[in-house]
Amino acid sequence: MKMERIEVRNAKTDLSGLSLEGVCFEVAGKQILGDLSLRTESARIGVVGRNGSGKSTLSRLIAGLINPSSGSISLNGISPAKDRKAALTEVGILFQNPDHQIIFPTVQEEIAFGLRQLGQTKDEAAQGTERTLARFGKSHWIDANVSTLSQGQKQLVCLMAISAMQPKTVILDEPLSGLDIPTGIQLRKYFSGYPGNLIHITHNPEDLREFDFALWLEGGRLVDSGNCDDVLMQYKAQMNKWGATDDISDLSD
Amino acid sequence: MISLTSPIRTKAHYWPASIKLGSLCIATALLFLIEDIWVLISVFTLVMLTYALPGKVFLLNGLRQLRMLWPFILIVGVWHVWIGSFVDGGVIVVRLVSAVALANLVTMTTKLSDMIDVISVILRPLHALGLKLKVVEIAIALVIRLTPVLVSKGSQLSDAWRARSERAPSWRIILPFIILALDDTDHVADALKARGGLES
Amino acid sequence: MEKNVALIALFAALIAALGLMPKLMLGFGVPITAQNLGVMLCGTILGSKRGAMSVLLFLLLVAVGLPLLSGGRGGLGLFVSPSAGFLIGWPVSAFVTGLIVEKWRGPSLAVVAGIASVIGGILVLYAFGIVGLSIALDKSLLETTGLVTAFVPGDFIKSVIAGMLTAALAKARPASVLSVS
Repeated sequence: MKMERIEVRNAKTDLSGLSLEGVCFEVAGKQILGDLSLRTESARIGVVGRNGSGKSTLSRLIAGLINPSSGSISLNGISPAKDRKAALTEVGILFQNPDHQIIFPTVQEEIAFGLRQLGQTKDEAAQGTERTLARFGKSHWIDANVSTLSQGQKQLVCLMAISAMQPKTVILDEPLSGLDIPTGIQLRKYFSGYPGNLIHITHNPEDLREFDFALWLEGGRLVDSGNCDDVLMQYKAQMNKWGATDDISDLSD
Repeated sequence: MISLTSPIRTKAHYWPASIKLGSLCIATALLFLIEDIWVLISVFTLVMLTYALPGKVFLLNGLRQLRMLWPFILIVGVWHVWIGSFVDGGVIVVRLVSAVALANLVTMTTKLSDMIDVISVILRPLHALGLKLKVVEIAIALVIRLTPVLVSKGSQLSDAWRARSERAPSWRIILPFIILALDDTDHVADALKARGGLES
Repeated sequence: MEKNVALIALFAALIAALGLMPKLMLGFGVPITAQNLGVMLCGTILGSKRGAMSVLLFLLLVAVGLPLLSGGRGGLGLFVSPSAGFLIGWPVSAFVTGLIVEKWRGPSLAVVAGIASVIGGILVLYAFGIVGLSIALDKSLLETTGLVTAFVPGDFIKSVIAGMLTAALAKARPASVLSVS
C-alpha cells in the first residue's frame, strides 16, 4: 500500500476547495487520524475505507464539529472549526442515522431550525422552508410529523434541513447505510441533483458512480487519493483480499 | 463503565463487603456522636493514614473524591469565622470529611460484583412484596450497558445541532433524546423476551 | 413485565446519561445541569411508581460505586455527605411528581407536569435536602433554607422545561407518556 502525500493543485487560487495539511486527530492518547495532507477542488469527492478507518472522524473535522489535534483544515479559505459562523453557510453534514439527527417533531420545524440559527426571523425561516420543500418537490410535506415518515423520508428531511441553509459543500457521512436498495437509489438521485459540492463518505463504491476524486483511508492514514475510478479499483481489490482472511477474530486493545 | 473501585489492590479489597458496610454504618454513627474536636482530628488523621498506606496514587485518588465537599467546607468555614466559633466549625468540617472519606474508602476497596451481592441479601425481604432478585440484577446490568449507548446517541444529536448552529444545544434536544430512549426500550424488551423473559 | 423493566432501566440510564453529557444551555447562555430534570421527567412521563423505581435504581448504582452523578461523582460517600438529603429525596420527588400528573386532569399537560415538577422536584425534594443539609452542617432548618434558595430559580426553570417536554412528548408519541394513559 502506498502511503505518500498526494497534492492535486489547480490553476485557481489556493483559497478554494478542500485543503488538509498534516491533520492529526487523537483522543485519550489514541491516534485516530495521522498526518493527512491533500488538496483538491473537485466538486464530487468520495471518501472510502473500512469501518474504523477514520472516515467519520474526518467528516466531522471537515464539518468543523471537532478540532484537529494538529495540522490545519481549510474549506474554501475558512477554518470550519474556528469560524463556526462562516462554516454554517459553507458546509453542512448529513449523518448515517436520521433518528440521531432530527431534533424536532415536525418537518416544518426541523427545516426552519437551521434558518433561525442563521439569524432569520420566524417569517423568513418559514418562507425559506417552503422554498426548500418546493425545490425538492415536497411541498406537501409541510405539515408532516416526522414520526410518520419512513427511514428514507426522514433522511430526505435531514438533507432538506441542511439544504435550506444552502451550504456550498455538503458532507454525506454514510447516509445510505441503513436504507434498502430502491430507497438508496432514489436518495442518490437527490444527492447528484445538489447544486453545491459533495463529499460522500461510504464503504460502498456504488455510491460514487459520478464522482471524479476519491481518497482512501485505512487505519487513520491516507492510503491513496486521486482519480475516483482508479482509487476505487485499488480499494475494491484490497477489500476482497481482506475478506479472504479472518481478521474479524482479532480483538482491538 | 468504569466503577470507582480502585485498581490498586489493598488488603481491604479481600475483606467481605458485608463486614465493610456494617463497620461503616457503625463508624459513621459513632462519628456523629463525637463532639470533641481533638478526637475528631485524630479520627481524621487515622483515616488519611489509611488512605496513604496503599501509596500516593491511592491517596491522591481519595483526595480527588473529597473535592466535591469544598463548597460545604467553604460555607461552614465562612459562617463560623463570621460568628467567631472556630472550634464548632472545625467539628462540623472534620466530622463531615471523615465520614465521607470513610464511606469512599469502602467504595474504593470493594468490587462492583461484591457490592451487588450484598444488595441482593439486603433486598431479600422485599421478595415478599414481589421483587425478584433476577429482575434487579438484570435491571442493573441493563443500566450499565445502556448508559454509554444513550450518551453516544446524545452526542450524535448534539453534533447534528452544532452542525447547524453556532450555539450549544438547548433543552429542546432532550425531546429526541427521550424518544430514542423509548425506542430502545422496545428493542430491549424484545431482546429480554427472546432470551427467555423475566416471568418464571 | 419485560417492558416495565426495560423502561425503568432505560430511564435510569437516561438520568445517568444526562449527568454525563456536557451542560445544556438555556436560551440566554446560562448553563444548567440536566440531571435533576431527568428525575422530574421520570415522574412526569413514567408516573409515580415506575418513575420512583427508576430513580431508586439509579441511586442504587451510584451507591455501589458507579460515577453516574453529574461531575462523575459516585460511591457511598455521597450518602453521608451534606447533599445526601437531596439524593434520598429524589425518588420521593419523582413519586410525588408522577402522582400529581396521574391524578390531576388539569388545563393542559404542560401546566400539570410543570406544576407537578415544582411540587415534587422543588417543594418535596428541598424538604428532604434541607433536613439532610441541616443535620450535616449542624445548622437550623431556617438557616439551611436560606443557603439553598439560590438554587430554586434554576430548578423552577427546569420544572417549566419538564412540563414543556412532557407535553411535546405526548404530542409526538402519545402512547409513551404512561402517567396519563
